[in-house]
Amino acid sequence: MLQVRNLTKVYDDGTVALKNVSFEVEDGDFLVIIGLSGSGKSTLLRCINRLIDPTEGQILWNGIDLAQLEGEELRNARRQIGMVFQQFNLVRRSTVMTNVLSGRLGYTNTWRSLTGRFSQADMQKARGALQRLGIEDQAHKRADELSGGQQQRVGIARALMQDPKMILADEPVASLDPVLAHSIMQHLEKLNRQDGITVLCSLHYLDLVQRYASRVIGLRDGNLVYQGTKADVLAMTDAQFKEIYGEEAERLGSGLQGEMKTTTGSAT
Amino acid sequence: MIEKPPLAPSKPFNRDEERKPSLVDAWGAAIASILIPGAGQMLARRIRRGLTILASFVTILGLLAWRMRLTARFDTEVWDIIIKSFRLDPYLLVIAISVLVLYIWSIYDATLLAKDNSKNPIGVFFWIMVVFFMLGWQIGQIDPVRLVTEADEAGPALGRVLWPWSRAITYPETLISGIVEIQSPCTDTPFPAAKPLPEEPWLVADPTCGVPSEQDGSPGTLIHLEGGNFSPDTLVELWWRDPIGNQFRQRAEGEYVSLIPEDDGTFSIEVIFPYRLIPPTAREEAQIWKIEARQVAAVGDPVISQEMTLVIEKMIETIFIGMMATFFGIILSLPLSFFAARNLMSANRITLFFYYLTRTLLNIIRSIEPLIWAIIFVIIVGLGPYAGILALTLHSAAALGKLYSEAIESIDPGPIEAIQATGANWLQMVMYAVVPQVIPPFVSFTIYRWDINIRMSTIIGFVGGGGIGFLLAQWIRLLDYRAAGLAVWFIALTVAILDYVSAEIRARYV
Ligand SMILES: Nc1ncnc2c1ncn2[C@@H]1O[C@H](COP(=O)(O)OP(=O)(O)OP(=O)(O)O)[C@@H](O)[C@H]1O
Ligand SMILES: [Mg+2]
Repeated sequence: MLQVRNLTKVYDDGTVALKNVSFEVEDGDFLVIIGLSGSGKSTLLRCINRLIDPTEGQILWNGIDLAQLEGEELRNARRQIGMVFQQFNLVRRSTVMTNVLSGRLGYTNTWRSLTGRFSQADMQKARGALQRLGIEDQAHKRADELSGGQQQRVGIARALMQDPKMILADEPVASLDPVLAHSIMQHLEKLNRQDGITVLCSLHYLDLVQRYASRVIGLRDGNLVYQGTKADVLAMTDAQFKEIYGEEAERLGSGLQGEMKTTTGSAT
Repeated sequence: MIEKPPLAPSKPFNRDEERKPSLVDAWGAAIASILIPGAGQMLARRIRRGLTILASFVTILGLLAWRMRLTARFDTEVWDIIIKSFRLDPYLLVIAISVLVLYIWSIYDATLLAKDNSKNPIGVFFWIMVVFFMLGWQIGQIDPVRLVTEADEAGPALGRVLWPWSRAITYPETLISGIVEIQSPCTDTPFPAAKPLPEEPWLVADPTCGVPSEQDGSPGTLIHLEGGNFSPDTLVELWWRDPIGNQFRQRAEGEYVSLIPEDDGTFSIEVIFPYRLIPPTAREEAQIWKIEARQVAAVGDPVISQEMTLVIEKMIETIFIGMMATFFGIILSLPLSFFAARNLMSANRITLFFYYLTRTLLNIIRSIEPLIWAIIFVIIVGLGPYAGILALTLHSAAALGKLYSEAIESIDPGPIEAIQATGANWLQMVMYAVVPQVIPPFVSFTIYRWDINIRMSTIIGFVGGGGIGFLLAQWIRLLDYRAAGLAVWFIALTVAILDYVSAEIRARYV
């Protein structure tokens, strides 16, 4: 179980990105984080695996405060938390295989990994992960030769290599077209359902939220302004959505609905 | 939150509105400027303009005085110096007149500003520039005429540099010599005559005895010499050896006598028994003198000259200086560059401290020219290639460290985050997220540096750092332009070949 308590993040330049945010995530949840651009979604996700150091507050994961970890302990916690990025963040000049194997770095002896000698078990695991995501035939291409959707699948395969108990996905489909977006979301959903991996995912489109979320939180200007279950989200009205996205978001709200129609249309 | 300071009142700065009128009228400003250049402008409330004019004026006068003093360096009286320097270098007079024009112009400028001090006439600054330019011309001893007039004299020397190949080969030489003995003075028993030899060079004299020339000028015996078996088309020198063993060359009418044998290797010539002061005790009885015909002849096939050998040896040394320096430079700069990359070192204060430390160190080392480093290392380890390698290594490490670290700083931070998120440690992160991204720029910078190092290593020898530069400097000083030309050719060839090779590597790997 992940318990975020009174999390606050103030950047060096004085920007308050998160204000006193508290919420809980049960193991096996598919938590979706919604909010306007700049509301603090990325900051929240990055605080959890400590790519960013929170200013105040606790991030209790199975009783351990991630916010306090340093060095070896932090790395050991991190290797159990996969991360998927909007821009995929693959090493573009390396092969797909190397990118996927790099998900094992947290489990690999430093000297072995510096010389690129991963164990047979890891290689096997990497092939399995690629197969699972349907890109095993791309294994020896360079990462930047792949299409966006394929790259994101490599990103997920890399996270999968960590044997993660939790996956943080920061707008994993924002740079993909709607059909691909569903395919990627379905992969994440499978990991959530079949492997029981907790997923924290930030999303922009209401239809995706309604389709995949088991729980939803909403951020606005760094404040937690909404918490709801799947049922709540399915019943969510424009007015509520507007509340999360702010008064100025009226036009955006209708745009979102238009987006929703086209995406569901093409997915079915 | 940090409290913001209240906004400073933002008034648009407008010269016309802000400036108060001039303190003096045009006449007042003119008189002030006559007394002190720039004073008129200051009184017209154009303080900075006035100070600029005054400072320029003082500087210009100081420089002019210095140049005049230098030109008429043996005079002490002020007036003498002025007259003498203008006579020796009329150009100084031209400058002096320009300074006068500037002086008058600055007065005129002051009157303009006194009338309307919001104007910005630029004439006076134009004149200041002109005078400084003229002074620069004089101080730099610029003389375009010399470039043309003295080109003829440089021609032969430059020609030798451009086409030095006759110096690249030599022929093995042997000394060919034939000797005949002469008795002096003649005695009753005739001195036996020498005979032509079948194989070796020979020399025969007729008569076989005689008397030397006298000190008063009366000539000695005329001797007819014949020789054979010499090398044709090669100069023969005639040498005497007097009874006490001193050698000297035969002269005729003040010039050394030399001759060229016929095609069959024979020659004949008449020489006068030369004057020679012989100690009186030795004069008692007949003495034996000797005449030797000497020839230094090239025999056999051409061989590579000593200079050419040296050039090749030193060129190899040069290339290796550049190579070793590049190699060591890479080794040193690779780890340094990671410390000097801000994006890798901004994790906490300690790492940030190392970042600034490395950066500063690299900047200091890099700002000192390799030639200066070479001088320092020559002092430490002595003359030779080792000093050059150390100098270039140090400079390369700093230069590459900076280039590498900038390449690291400009990489995509995304993969770094992604690798960190997998629980990788710093070394693994560098190996998996940074290294693949920086390989192309690193290869490119390394080739670039290798280019520079080879070029630098050719001149590092000028200060004793080993390599071909040492030979080049030495031969230029000895005015041996052909040998210098060989070195220049080899440098040019090597650099051209390396240019080509590095372009190929770049095309293939970057
Ligand atoms: N490194 C940083 N330094 C200073 N301020 C930052 C930094 N990163 C983000 N911020 C600020 O923090 C706030 C929250 O940013 P964050 O990236 O978390 O928003 P987001 O919800 O992920 O937005 P988006 O949907 O555009 O990705 C924004 O105001 C942003 O400008
Ligand atoms: Mg974001």
